[in-house]
Amino acid sequence: MSGRSYAEVEFGEELPAFQPDVSLANVRRFTGAAGMTFPRFHDHEAARKEGLPGAIVPGIMSQGILTALIHRWSPSARVLRVDTVFRSPILVDSKPLAKGVVTDKNDAERTVEVDLTIQNEAGDSPVVGTATVAF
Amino acid sequence: MEIDVDKLKRDWAGATFDTAEFEARADDLRDFALSCGETAPHYTDPEHPEFRAVPNFTSRYVGRRVLPDNFPRFSSGFGFDAGKCVTVLGPLRVGDRVTAKSRIHDIYTKTGRSGTMLFIVHRMEFSNQRGEPISIVDWRMVQRAGN
Repeated sequence: MSGRSYAEVEFGEELPAFQPDVSLANVRRFTGAAGMTFPRFHDHEAARKEGLPGAIVPGIMSQGILTALIHRWSPSARVLRVDTVFRSPILVDSKPLAKGVVTDKNDAERTVEVDLTIQNEAGDSPVVGTATVAF
Repeated sequence: MEIDVDKLKRDWAGATFDTAEFEARADDLRDFALSCGETAPHYTDPEHPEFRAVPNFTSRYVGRRVLPDNFPRFSSGFGFDAGKCVTVLGPLRVGDRVTAKSRIHDIYTKTGRSGTMLFIVHRMEFSNQRGEPISIVDWRMVQRAGN
């Protein structure tokens, strides 16, 4: 494992954004691992019958994408807490972008706070969150 | 519809209403991590000596009941999922037998242009077969009063 040290992290630092794979095939892999059987997550037609525009990415997959963003930035970072708010659905087969920025440093605890966002193609943020991260 | 939140909390918050057990399987830990875009090998490679579940893995578990028996309903269904907070307390490794205890942690309302929304915070506390804590997952469920 490698990654940044607490001293190297800067207030206001942006984590390298990445485009997660939310293709139907990959979401199906996730729902299989997560034991989620609701068809709205892996079947566009079934989701439309529920009034959705298409299949949607599970909220806990979005949360996992945001913790992956932190580990891609610093593989040895330890996420102590992650809190996510699901404002609206992210569509399967769309092109979202996961982003993060360091908003606070706690010298006593040697932890940092990170604001997290998943942005959709319209530039809206259907999933937002915060994380406390130790190094 | 008027909701007496203080009474709801007095009547329902705090008591464990469900206990469930799960086993952590290597394939599930790996696929959960990889499908979310994890690249750190201690989350993606079951052969790694420090292989473990990603921090929010326990948010995949649900108990046998979402709410206590006879909990009052203010809308049809359980409502919608407004978010989850995971506090990580220890590692979850392959083969661990996970015990999850569920309780209502908090109840509150928010009122906006669309009316009053009831937030129910469902807390699951996870521990392993040695009784060591793994995580706490707070799931915010929202019901629209009167729907």
